[in-house]
Amino acid sequence: MTENTIAVEHVGAQHLITEPPVRDTGAAATLRRSARRRKGLKGLGFHAFVLALTVVILYPAVWMFLSAFKPSSDIIGEVNPIPTDWTLDNFTKALSGIGGVSFWTFFGNSLILAVLSVIGIVLSATVSAYAFSRIEFPGRNIWFGLMIGTLLLPFHVVIIPQYIIFNNLGMVNTFWPLLLGKFLASEAFFVFLMVQFMRNLPRELDEAARIDGAGHVRIFRSIMLPLMRPPIITASIFAFIWSWNDFLGPLLYLKKPDLYSLPIALRLYVDQTSVSDYGAQMAMAVLALVPVLLFFIVFQRYIVDGVATQGLKG
Amino acid sequence: MKTRNKLTMALGVTTVFALALSGCSSSDDSGSGGDAAAVSTDEDITISLAWWGNDDRAAKYEQAVDLFEKAHPNITVQTQFQAWDDYWTARNTEAAGKALPDVMQMDLSYLRQYAATGQLGDLSAQEGVNLDVSGLDESLLESGAIDGKQYAIPTSTNTLALFYNADITDALGMEPPADGYTWDEFDQWFLDVAKAGASEDPAVYGGADYAVTFWFFLQWFMQSGEQPFTEDGQLNFTQDDMKEWLNSTADLRDAKAVYPVEKAKQLEPLTGFTTNEAAAEVSWDNFLAGYVADSGTENIEMLPIPAGDDGQQHLFYKPSMLLAPSSSSEHPDAAAALIDFLINDPEVGTIFGTSKGVPAVAAQRDAMDVEAGSIDEKVVAYEDSVADIVTESAPIPVQGFGAIEAEFKRLGEELQYGNITVDEFVEQWWANAEQNIPQS
Amino acid sequence: MTTLTRDAAPSSAPAKRARRWKPSEVRAGYAFLTPWLLGFFLLTAGPMIASLYLAFTDYNLFTDPQWVGFDNFTQLFQDPRFLQSAKVTAIYVLVGTPVKLVAALAVAMLLNMKHRGQGAYRSIFYAPSLIGASVSIAIVWKAMFIDDGIVDTVGQFFGMQAGGWVGNPDMTMPMMILLAVWQFGAPMVIFLAGLKQVPAELYEAASVDGAGPVRKFLRITLPMLSPVIFFNLLLETIAAFQVFSSAFIISGGSGGPAGSTLFYTLYLYIRGFNDFRMGYASAMAWVLVIVVGVITAIFFKTSKSWVHYSGDAR
Repeated sequence: MTENTIAVEHVGAQHLITEPPVRDTGAAATLRRSARRRKGLKGLGFHAFVLALTVVILYPAVWMFLSAFKPSSDIIGEVNPIPTDWTLDNFTKALSGIGGVSFWTFFGNSLILAVLSVIGIVLSATVSAYAFSRIEFPGRNIWFGLMIGTLLLPFHVVIIPQYIIFNNLGMVNTFWPLLLGKFLASEAFFVFLMVQFMRNLPRELDEAARIDGAGHVRIFRSIMLPLMRPPIITASIFAFIWSWNDFLGPLLYLKKPDLYSLPIALRLYVDQTSVSDYGAQMAMAVLALVPVLLFFIVFQRYIVDGVATQGLKG
Repeated sequence: MKTRNKLTMALGVTTVFALALSGCSSSDDSGSGGDAAAVSTDEDITISLAWWGNDDRAAKYEQAVDLFEKAHPNITVQTQFQAWDDYWTARNTEAAGKALPDVMQMDLSYLRQYAATGQLGDLSAQEGVNLDVSGLDESLLESGAIDGKQYAIPTSTNTLALFYNADITDALGMEPPADGYTWDEFDQWFLDVAKAGASEDPAVYGGADYAVTFWFFLQWFMQSGEQPFTEDGQLNFTQDDMKEWLNSTADLRDAKAVYPVEKAKQLEPLTGFTTNEAAAEVSWDNFLAGYVADSGTENIEMLPIPAGDDGQQHLFYKPSMLLAPSSSSEHPDAAAALIDFLINDPEVGTIFGTSKGVPAVAAQRDAMDVEAGSIDEKVVAYEDSVADIVTESAPIPVQGFGAIEAEFKRLGEELQYGNITVDEFVEQWWANAEQNIPQS
Repeated sequence: MTTLTRDAAPSSAPAKRARRWKPSEVRAGYAFLTPWLLGFFLLTAGPMIASLYLAFTDYNLFTDPQWVGFDNFTQLFQDPRFLQSAKVTAIYVLVGTPVKLVAALAVAMLLNMKHRGQGAYRSIFYAPSLIGASVSIAIVWKAMFIDDGIVDTVGQFFGMQAGGWVGNPDMTMPMMILLAVWQFGAPMVIFLAGLKQVPAELYEAASVDGAGPVRKFLRITLPMLSPVIFFNLLLETIAAFQVFSSAFIISGGSGGPAGSTLFYTLYLYIRGFNDFRMGYASAMAWVLVIVVGVITAIFFKTSKSWVHYSGDAR
């Protein structure tokens, strides 16, 4: 409880929350190093196991990556992941664009949509989750139940009514239909995710801040948001990737090729009614993976690194 | 729409949604039929054009649309394109929202669905004003008409052909089927190939079980000299007809002389034919380009399909693609002018070649830049060679055709896995067809 | 410290207090909930109600819906393909979901250990979830499961004679489940974020008390992680009931071979968009809503006894 009290005293100055964890002293580090040596064997076992798992898990990904270097007619039905004829033609073709629209236009559209989705979802989901998890008001449970209820309906049957709404609002051929819902917390998955994490933060935090005279806006901004970093990063990663890969929304709402996102373009290489270029599709799929992979690699460490919750709790 | 409005009100639906629905009900059919005026040359007009296809077609359409915009400087064409499946998902959704593009590529199998439900505009009044159809064969033009209204104009044609891989037949020391071969002889050829190819690694077959493709059944039925669908959009064949057709390849299935379905499923969207494990495949003639690309061999040859009991093939030119205006278009005149340009302009013919099928209008056919030995040349040569045996006009599919065709395919799979008998196939297909084809 | 340990251990739900709502709290609650409420009423509620209405109509997308009462529902239960799709989906939910969640939790715990290279491993293990949403996954995944593909080869080594799984209707369900399990990245990341919320002090204190790893897992990890476990369990279950994309892509939209991958929402989609029977599809959707709704309600009911929120129990 003592540390907690300290934390609360610091809330006004907003210090402790962002303060880095206490550094190891030299002596402690030495101790840890020898402990690590003792754990060496255990570490070896860990790496052997995880590496084996990696091979199994990555095999399909490697197959996919290498297929992008195969001629189109060597891809389907081919067991061997290693190309017999290496070629870069697929990438040249994928990068050359479609119908006068450059690859980078598709790429840029996907990027804009993904980034705005992340912003929208993080803002709206955390705010809504705060209401659901930290404020007591009449109707809360009913709204919460309804929110969970929106998860249950398969989305295919709301495609048409939703299209009619956006069409009548004149929003077809804009990014609005794809983004509005994100800024209005329509994706219950994210709200619920935030609720689960927020409810698990100790109540002492806000109660003490209240005594300090902080209102909900300040508690939300200064206590909740910093402590919610792992779920926020998690949600950002999902929001980015799901938007990046979303296909049906762009298909229905983006009619101008200049507005197309990558998944629409990707599918154009395979046409059952004429000639298909599986190689170019594979190459574009590989290229499309690069940003999401980078996004994940950059942000995954924030899920697990440097959150000061430990300092605040206990 | 009335009932829906009342109900949604009663349910106290949000204002926006009510608004959406009322907006939906107020948009009635405009632009269909009526008077046509020559398309304006000074008013700024933007029309939309949607098509399905691949990156290659995108480049071609872009060129063609540029030419049109040059010829009509006041008209801007906003194009959009999707892959085949996606195209229909998008169009169906737009149809529900009454927001279809002004001009869209149309497929024969969806034509009646869209026309009968008032989605398409009637081009009859445009003929001679903005639209010249004189270059089209009469019976071909009719394949875009329902109940005397011209809902769509064919851009190009295809017809069925037997493709065979000469590399495979040569390697097996086999001859392709002889001129005027019958269905029975074709089956025997399948057996022979399977026998000769059994020792190959992987084993080589004659081809896939062709009986489970709906269009082939229709073509076979037409060899009796009748259309498979009636004028008023009902089935014209009987359950016994279908049983006879499906039983015709039963021997091949029993002898395991057709390409195994287990393997075919592994290769989708390719087939045994395009992975060079089957010698032949029946399909539409403009698929040649795809076959050459997928199989990696140029030696794909074409023959007419097997002949019926009277020794005739009874082929028909199917519009491989049509262009149709939307009934909700605000610029039916400009839409008609665009369709006119795309089907008649010789330069457009040069641009597309046979990639959409052989152009329907002679001026476009003649303008094609056919290189010797090219795929275009082979397809044109094939259509020329069968011109005399194309004796039927294309059937106009019933409403719900997409659903009954898909059901045929699905049951065909069950049949090949041995999960159902031919009788069960026909019984189940019929029950499905009764649900999906609206009674007249 | 003591309070937290008490929170982490099972405790009864807080007694419901009869209370007056504080006006400032009510205002704050609704202020924070505004984005969600706007989204719900503008974008979500209308289409949901419309789909419920359509469930009682014959609606072909092109012409006005016709009221048919309960016809769609009575037809449903006589439709062998509907029953097939329900069966396929039930197997997928019952087998796939637990396997995927256990895998995700196990890997998350592995990746939460203090070892070198964890960032790289996290990225690698998440990679399948990135690829899984790509249209190219159909070609990639099938290549693993065709005759003499890697799975068949390994299978033969162990004396399995299944041949290629793709074309074998008995083996496509295991293939689909493996595809789902392979993409354990999303629940794994959420588990990881949850593990980071567990204060390290709890483990340290438990070590002082002489607790072993199993005891720590049961007494600290599981209770502290319970909100996240609950989230993943519920959301993965709902997602499994609604599984669509992977089956759609892998079977080319047909649900084949021989109906073995005819998942519920795939059949719903076929009915709605291929057969133009959106009324029937809507009826299917609402049957699913009821089934999954009951399951969700049961989950929430039972969750009171095993899910513990540090921010709730006071």
